[in-house]
Amino acid sequence: MSPSFGRGAMTNSWSDLQNAQVFLIAGSNCAENHPIAMRWINRAKAKGAKMIVVDPRFTRTASEADIFAQIRPGTDIAYLGAIINYIIANKLYDEAYVLNYTNALLKVNQGYKFDEGLFSGFDAKTRKYGVDSWGYQLGPDQKPLAAAALDDPDSVFSQLKAHYSRYSLETAEKITGIPAKTIEMIAETFAKNKPGTILYALGMTQHTTAVQGIRAYAIIQLLLGNIGRAGGGVNALRGEPNVQGSTDMANLFNNLPGYVPAPISTDKNLQDYAARNGSIQVKPLVSLLKAWYGENATKADDYAFDYLPKINPSVNATMVKMFEMMEKGQFKLLFNMGSNSLVSIANRQLVRSALTKLDMMVVSDLFEVETAQFWREPGVNPAEIKTEVIMFPAAFVYEKAGSLTNSSRWIQWKEAAIKPLGEAKPDLDLLDALFKRIRRLYATSTEAKDTPILKARWDYGEEPSALKVLQELSGYDETTGKLLSTLADYLKAPVGDVSTGCWIYAGVTGNGNLAARRNNADPSHLGLFNNWSFAWPANIRILYNRASCDLDGQPVDPERKLVWWDGTKSLWVGNDGPDVVDKTKGPKTPEGKQSFRMNPEGLGRLFAAKYTSGLPVVPPAQGQPVIGIRPAGLCVDGPLPEFYEPTESPTENLLHPQVSASPTALVPSAFPEIQKMGKAEDFPYVLTTYGVVEQFCAGGVTRNIPWLNELMPEPFAEMSKNLAGKIGVHEGDKVEVSSARGKVTVRCLVTDRLQTYAVNGRKTETIGMPWSWGFASLSPGPSTNELTIASLDPGAGTPETKVCLVNVRRA
Amino acid sequence: MARKMIFVDTSKCTGCKACTVACKEWNDLPAEKTHLIESYQTMRDFTPKTWTYVTFIEQYHNKTMDFFMRKAQCFHCGDPACLKACTSNAISKSADGLVVINPDKCIGCGYCAENCPFGVPKVDVVRKKAYKCTGCVDRVENGLTPACVQTCQPGALQYGERETLMAKAKERLNEVRKRYPGAQLYGEHEMGGTTYVYLLLDAPEVYHLPQHPSVPVSLTLWKDVIRPVGSVAVGGAAAAVVVGVLGNWFRGGYRREGGPPDGGEHHSPAGKAGKGGKE
Repeated sequence: MSPSFGRGAMTNSWSDLQNAQVFLIAGSNCAENHPIAMRWINRAKAKGAKMIVVDPRFTRTASEADIFAQIRPGTDIAYLGAIINYIIANKLYDEAYVLNYTNALLKVNQGYKFDEGLFSGFDAKTRKYGVDSWGYQLGPDQKPLAAAALDDPDSVFSQLKAHYSRYSLETAEKITGIPAKTIEMIAETFAKNKPGTILYALGMTQHTTAVQGIRAYAIIQLLLGNIGRAGGGVNALRGEPNVQGSTDMANLFNNLPGYVPAPISTDKNLQDYAARNGSIQVKPLVSLLKAWYGENATKADDYAFDYLPKINPSVNATMVKMFEMMEKGQFKLLFNMGSNSLVSIANRQLVRSALTKLDMMVVSDLFEVETAQFWREPGVNPAEIKTEVIMFPAAFVYEKAGSLTNSSRWIQWKEAAIKPLGEAKPDLDLLDALFKRIRRLYATSTEAKDTPILKARWDYGEEPSALKVLQELSGYDETTGKLLSTLADYLKAPVGDVSTGCWIYAGVTGNGNLAARRNNADPSHLGLFNNWSFAWPANIRILYNRASCDLDGQPVDPERKLVWWDGTKSLWVGNDGPDVVDKTKGPKTPEGKQSFRMNPEGLGRLFAAKYTSGLPVVPPAQGQPVIGIRPAGLCVDGPLPEFYEPTESPTENLLHPQVSASPTALVPSAFPEIQKMGKAEDFPYVLTTYGVVEQFCAGGVTRNIPWLNELMPEPFAEMSKNLAGKIGVHEGDKVEVSSARGKVTVRCLVTDRLQTYAVNGRKTETIGMPWSWGFASLSPGPSTNELTIASLDPGAGTPETKVCLVNVRRA
Repeated sequence: MARKMIFVDTSKCTGCKACTVACKEWNDLPAEKTHLIESYQTMRDFTPKTWTYVTFIEQYHNKTMDFFMRKAQCFHCGDPACLKACTSNAISKSADGLVVINPDKCIGCGYCAENCPFGVPKVDVVRKKAYKCTGCVDRVENGLTPACVQTCQPGALQYGERETLMAKAKERLNEVRKRYPGAQLYGEHEMGGTTYVYLLLDAPEVYHLPQHPSVPVSLTLWKDVIRPVGSVAVGGAAAAVVVGVLGNWFRGGYRREGGPPDGGEHHSPAGKAGKGGKE
């Protein structure tokens, strides 16, 4: 989403779902995995909204749908491409929106090509793209040239049109297994009911083409004018209550808090950093350094830039890759908090092996999850394992104070309801005690590498206070020591005068703890709930809401007014906080027209072009780095989504057989004994994996709750009646499901909710298995990730847990 | 007090089973050993420890999949057969419509279990008491909604005044019928009007519910005709013999011999109405 809209977050909110007229729920089984979603969806349905569900199987969510389509796992871009094609061919797009708020008119570099499955710039040796040809044609002012009309052959719109002209409904049917007329019905229904929203979760992200699938959603929504509007959006349903919060705090290895890019090994100073990331990133980084190092971060010493660890840009340190490094012996210690990788990581055999290569592992969790007792797994000999394992009992969510940031970007404060049991501690207490002890150990050190530990500002109190942490994230005026009142205070302060631990959270505790607000008044009746907690940024509830207005700054949808330009006050005002560059800049000004201010073009990006705003017209003096303002987010696997087969696929790519799977996907090969690949001859069926409502994620908590175990006591393999008949099993029989990597035996669930379908004219079967079990807990069961493949999306590093090839037989 | 109603809108039920957990939590009922029976269903019948569960029905016709989910629990009948059958005055009906077994009075005779057309009450053979959903009478009397209603996220369960809610239910039925022509309300008139009223998406038989649930004729005879006379003329004990004989005569055997071998719980004879899962 970030390369499309500028921010990597769900655009709208849970409570905004009630404003939609149509839902496309694809890659999400929200009735099961986000039960609260249905409350808001049902409100929209009561007002006549249509619900479309696309899923490899008929789920509990599908039971509520008006239109259901069973799709072959991993082929989403094929039918989404057909929908884009349909929208363009039938002129169903919102022309004013496309012209004014997207980059449709900008002229693409003439060196850009797409041919036989490859974009220009592909290096077959490194399997990576050089992205220079994916830019715009620039004028002498270094700004993109705009075409006069959409049909200019160089325009983004023409490139888009040409790219998706290959995606006919019939082609999409052959790839996905969804009948062409159903795809047409989905396109018609979604394009003609406004506003429309798209909901997705891990069903879209656990693919080697994950990022591009979401890009396809973004393109559809930009074409239809559904971004920035109540009831619209691309909504990434977060799977854990605080996933948004953890990503905001730099869950990703190449981020710092607030999505500030991490410095890399070649950044010798702030200037190098600015040259790579744009001058726009300097202030958030300096503010972060001020938060972390306080008075020790001064202008004279480059705001303690040296104290930050620098990452090696050639190292991909995403989850699976980290376990590969661990297997190679790179890590001595793993600090494992609230993660059960031995159950949750695709091709989990790598995790099992890698953990044995550690000297020590510290696990902090509620229960002794599988990862914590990997040495006890049946078949593993504890005598051969040198890893020392230490277990910290963690406090449960209700036993600790702090904030949770939900999918709606609402930072919601809570107090501890009860004291932790026994010796269990809140995470903050544990980390605080750990840091203080580590600092004492280094107290006498004079080595430069230890300076960051000694110079860190760490002042959360004797008994650490979670509120103080949130206040640090919100920020201080470092000249006075007072809390920053609002995001605006942060924005207008000179660099180095303010600190924020996470600049997008600025203002959350500025005027009292706004995250603790519990006023559920909703005067606009749009589900904005402006005085309930605090939404980042600046309490804006619906991102990019400038796009809900026309060029004159007036709401396009009179029933769903979010913001507008008040000519008498000369100010952007509204029911929601206006997402504009400057509230005083009118709709006709260059700033006031921008609907996507976090993108360097200020536009929604149909084509994810390489571009940096504010590049100097005159090159800087020799030796001086070229520093622009804001570089655009890029997708490493192409500026437009293209359909590629999953790594393990039952067929070849109909569009370009020579480049069948994603050319840039990271196919695991470091450990051939573990990371095996299967072929359709041996493993003819497609496996897809998912969660069930009764068990949560890797089951570390829920499989220890008897009341949940009786609701879903065991994993299973779901299959069609045809497949069950073919292998001679009935519901309740045990079946052995095997892949190139492993095999498991589970109960068979024979159902009409999975149907045989045709792919390239050949009958194909999908088997579905939940993945939440492991060998420990009150409800032990085989782990489905014994079967899955750890092929990674080249941009996000997410494993392709949703698709691999398997065989099945009666056990 | 005006009669209350719980509207179970199965068109909104997503089968999340949170109602089962909320019920067990509030009523302090332990978990039981289960396994998958069919579809995502793991509970087949009521037990002394399971007072509500969700049934899953899958139907595939003309390339259209129907996946029906229904929360099962005591209907809390307007004319409860269990209350009529109870020999120890242990069962009462509150003004707002909840039918409750008083364990202090219950002698575990099982007549309630035998006579309920939905197969709801179950006798714990160890404790010799009958158990079933109480409608969370202890919550309702204190101004709270039943635990299942309180927890339902998609809004499939609503609690309120019967008259108001019934009107809403009918409105909803008209809406749902556009998609499911066979949809119907179940419980508006059945058994004197039940407190849990369902919007079913298809005929009751599809959900394994009796199409015309009724109070056994023998029971009506006993309670409304014979006992009023008998209690004056021959006394209760003799009358109990009469109802036993009549019961056998009308229904051909009125209860299974002995308890189940697995201890503690009484399961109704197979095939009796009110089962969600197919065997």
